[in-house]
Amino acid sequence: MAKEALKFALMFVLLILAQVVVFNHICLFGVAIPLVFIYFVIKLPLTLGINWVMTLSFLLGLTVDIMSNTQGMNALACTILAVTRAPVLHLYMPRQETISNPEISCNTVGTAVFMKYALTLCAIYCALFFIIESLTFFDPMLLALKIVSSTLLTFVVIMAFDSLASSAK
Amino acid sequence: MRNLLSFFLRYSAWFVFAFYAVISAWLLFTKNPFQHHVYLTSAGAVASGVYEVTNKVTSYIGLRDINEDLQWRNAALEAEVIMLRDQTRKLSQVLQQDSLRSIDSIGKFQFVIASVINNSVIRPHNYITIDKGKADGIAPEMGVMDQNGVVGVTNVVSDHHARVISLLNPNFRLSCKLRGNDAFGSLVWDGKSPSEAILEELPRQVKFQPGDTIITSGYSAMFPEGIPVGIVMGSTHGEDDNFHTLRIRLLTDFTTLSTVKVISNRDIVEIKEVEADDATSKPQN
Repeated sequence: MAKEALKFALMFVLLILAQVVVFNHICLFGVAIPLVFIYFVIKLPLTLGINWVMTLSFLLGLTVDIMSNTQGMNALACTILAVTRAPVLHLYMPRQETISNPEISCNTVGTAVFMKYALTLCAIYCALFFIIESLTFFDPMLLALKIVSSTLLTFVVIMAFDSLASSAK
Repeated sequence: MRNLLSFFLRYSAWFVFAFYAVISAWLLFTKNPFQHHVYLTSAGAVASGVYEVTNKVTSYIGLRDINEDLQWRNAALEAEVIMLRDQTRKLSQVLQQDSLRSIDSIGKFQFVIASVINNSVIRPHNYITIDKGKADGIAPEMGVMDQNGVVGVTNVVSDHHARVISLLNPNFRLSCKLRGNDAFGSLVWDGKSPSEAILEELPRQVKFQPGDTIITSGYSAMFPEGIPVGIVMGSTHGEDDNFHTLRIRLLTDFTTLSTVKVISNRDIVEIKEVEADDATSKPQN
């Protein structure tokens, strides 16, 4: 248990550093921004209570906000993402199945389910983030393009992270 | 009482959610960037510490371009020095025959050199973090420029760091004019490209050509008059027939910012006092 907590604490710090130092400066074709820190929300164990998931997600978003001067955008999107996490997983994985391992990964829930789950969360997050962001400049075509391209880019980077993390074990 | 408690426990997730959503929304809708608390911006101790370390590594990237810019600027300044030296020589000859002393207006502005440790160009509201703060004499609302032109204005200042509102931020409007013409307009970013902005509210009768230089007007006390800002690309049709709306190519390359100058105006306290007096005395009339 303590080992798990330590692992997630480390992940929290590393993902935030990766986001603000490297990924915040990436913008492919002027539209696609990788929002990779949500990998933390995707990977939080299944057994963790919803209040904890929301608290940790909110803190994650707030920290990224502070570092990248986005004032509440990521905090709000992360809180909403935390709520949608469990329903999305149950959409792809029937509730009845008994879960032996609380960890969410390709091994425990199956590669197809995990990929669908991660892609859906990326899409939800990018949609939320760019809709909140577009309160400043509203341009529906650009908004749609940003959401789709950022979702794909985020998904690809997160899958790369995941395969790295699982092969390291 | 027990029912109430069990009600709260049962629906605790909703309360927690509402709590976080309200906090985020409150942060989100604090529109005025001057109201942001220092610990919630990149000028805070932890954030600026992280950026300072990464800047030590990444600041070497782009040095070649910056060097080239500096060479150009140096050449331009050298030409200006020669011209001014010539002028002073001529003027001093005139002065010797004249008993009136010229008024010394130079030296009103002072510069503080700072390094950019974090910068963004892809958000709708872009900010820059620099490694100088209160301890170096920096206060909010000071103009910031680099070797090419205007960069932004300082906003949240901690002891050793400051956050600058970039010109690429719709919260910042800069009063500008065409070089060689006193009609002024307002420069604002339209969120499309980090190298372009819009000059609005330029009176209709003003003549301009694509390629004309846009400079600061000097009306805002943050920037001295005549700092280059951009080049006119062309006119875009505004909604108002009485004003021109011009598309401007910015001279500052925001993607490779590294060293900037913060402009401190010795007279700014006095100017603020005068403006504040004016504002308070109006309702009594």
